[in-house]
Amino acid sequence: MTYHFGRGWARFIPYLLLLPGVIFYLVIALLPSLATSLYSFTDATGLQGAPMHWLGLENYKEFLFMGQASKDNLDALGRTLVFCFFVTTIQFALGLLAAVVLNQRLRGTNVFRTLYFMPVILGAVIQGLIWSLFLFPLGGPMARFLDLFGMRSEFLGGQPSEAFAWVIVVQIWANMGTTMIIFLSGLQTIPSDLYEAAKIDGASSWQAFTNVTWPLLTPSVNTNLTLNIIGSLQAWQLFLVLIGYRNGTQVLGYLIYATGFGQTSGSVTSSFRQGYAAAASIILFLLVLVIGMTVQFILRRREARILG
Amino acid sequence: MTTTTQAPAMRRIPWGRIGSYAFLLILAVIYLGPLLMLVNTSLKTMPAFMKDATGPAIELNFQNFVDAWNKASFPKYLLNSAIYTFAATTIYVITAVYVAFPIARGYVKFSGALLTLFVIALFLPPALIPQFQLVLNLGLYNNPIGYILLFVVNPIGIVILVNYIKTVPKELDEAAAMDGCGYFRFVWSVVLPLIQPALATVIVLQAIGIWNEIITPTIYLTSKDYYPITRGLIVFQGVYGSNWPTLAAAVLMLTLPMLLLFLFLQRYIISGLTAGSVKG
Repeated sequence: MTYHFGRGWARFIPYLLLLPGVIFYLVIALLPSLATSLYSFTDATGLQGAPMHWLGLENYKEFLFMGQASKDNLDALGRTLVFCFFVTTIQFALGLLAAVVLNQRLRGTNVFRTLYFMPVILGAVIQGLIWSLFLFPLGGPMARFLDLFGMRSEFLGGQPSEAFAWVIVVQIWANMGTTMIIFLSGLQTIPSDLYEAAKIDGASSWQAFTNVTWPLLTPSVNTNLTLNIIGSLQAWQLFLVLIGYRNGTQVLGYLIYATGFGQTSGSVTSSFRQGYAAAASIILFLLVLVIGMTVQFILRRREARILG
Repeated sequence: MTTTTQAPAMRRIPWGRIGSYAFLLILAVIYLGPLLMLVNTSLKTMPAFMKDATGPAIELNFQNFVDAWNKASFPKYLLNSAIYTFAATTIYVITAVYVAFPIARGYVKFSGALLTLFVIALFLPPALIPQFQLVLNLGLYNNPIGYILLFVVNPIGIVILVNYIKTVPKELDEAAAMDGCGYFRFVWSVVLPLIQPALATVIVLQAIGIWNEIITPTIYLTSKDYYPITRGLIVFQGVYGSNWPTLAAAVLMLTLPMLLLFLFLQRYIISGLTAGSVKG
C-alpha cells in the first residue's frame, strides 16, 4: 500500500504510533502468557524477591499423582467437565428455543429479548448477589416455590452437589442471552422465501425447522458451541460470589486462583504457590485445547457435510 | 348417510402462538423474579424481612439506601471504579486505533503477521501467574497504576477496528495527504469520526469488562482505599451478609444505573458480540 503522508523519516511515524499498543500487548499479554509454562516448572511464590528454583515436572507430578491433594485436583477437573457439559447443553438448547420463538412475528418480542439479554451487562458480582437473595433459604421466593411441590433445599448453603447445581443455574441465567443473540443474528440471515417455499410444499413447522432452519443455522451453532464450551471450562467468577471456596464445589479455575494467591478454606490457609498454580493452569489450558480442537474438528466436518 | 364429507373447516386454535407466549412468559418470570425480589427486599425493614422474606414491602423503608450508601463507602468505591474504567478504556482505545489503522491499510511492514500476533494470545495459556510476577516485581502491586495497566490490552477490539477501518475508502488518505494533513492528525480527526460505530462497540465492551471485573481487584488490590465497587460490594456482603435489606439496597443502587445504561448501549454490545463471534 502506498503511503501518502510524507517520505524519509516521516515514513516511520506509523511505526512510532503503533509502538505503545504493541508494547502493551507484548508485555502485559503475550509474554506473560508464554511464560506460564516456564513458571510451571519452578517453585515460584508470590513473595517479592523470594528465590526461585527449577523443579522440572515436579509440580505436574504433584498435581496429578500425589495423595489426597491430587485426588481433590482430579475431582475439581471432573467437576469442571460436568459444569461445562450442563451449562453448554442447557444454555444452547434454551438459547436456540428462545431465539426461534422470538424470531416469529409476535407482539413484544423486543421487550422479551432485552429482558433475557439484560444480565449480560451486570457482571458476576451483581448476578451472584441477586441470586443469593433469590435463593434465600428461609422463605425466599425459590424456597417458597419448591415448597409448593413439597420440596426443600438449602440452596447455596446445602450439600456441595446442591450448591454446585445452583451455580450452574445462575451461570445459564446470566449467559443464555448471549447464546440467544448469536442465534437470532443467524436466524435473520435465513431468507424468508425459503420458509414460504417449504410452506407451499406442505412442510409442517417442525419440518421447516429441521430442513431449513437447523442446517442454515450451522455457523451460529458452531460459534455458540465453541464459545460456550471454552467459556464454561474457564468460568469460576460465580463460584467466588455465590459460594466461595468450599470443598466439594471447586472447579479448576478457582483451584488455580486459590493455590496461586492464597485462600482460606475452613482452618486451612494455602500459601502462594505460584509455580504449582502455573502448572495447574497449563493443565486447564491443555484440557480446553483438546476439547476445543476436538469440537472444532467435529463441527468443521459437520459443516462441510451440510453446507457443502 | 354413507358418503364421507370433509370435516367442516374449524377455526384452528393457534397452539403455536399460545405455546410461544407461554414459553416467553415463563422465561420472563425467571429473568424478572430475582430483580423484583431485589427491589422488594431493599424497601423492607430487617424485622419485616425476617418475618416474611417474600411478602410485599408495604412500609417502603428508604433508610436502607441511606445506610448502604454510607456504610458501603459507595462514593469512594464508585469513584475508583469510574477512574479505572475511564483511564484504562481511554488508553486502550487510543493505542488500539493507532495499531489497527496502519495494519488495516498496510502502512507498516508485515501487517498481516502483526494482526496474527495479536490474535494468537487468545489461543495461549492464561497469563495470570507471570502477569502477577511482573506487576509485583515492577513494584506496582496494590497500586492503581498497575491495576489500570492490566486493562489496556484487548486483542478482540483490535480485530473489530481493523475490520471496520477496511471499509473506510482509501482515497481519503490520499486526498488528506495532498491537502497537507499529517498522519497523526488524519487518524485523529478524519478516521476516528468515520469509525464511530466500531469505536463505540469497542469502548462499551472494554468499559463494561473493566467495571464488572472482580477477580483482578481481588488479586491485585489489597487496600480498601483502592477497591472498585465490585470488590467493595463483596466486602460489604461479608460484613452485612445477614442484613439483606441493606445489602439489597446496595446491590440495587448499582444495578439500576447499569440497566438504564444497558437500554442505550444494547446495540453496541450486540454488535460487539456478533462481530467477535464471526471471527471466533
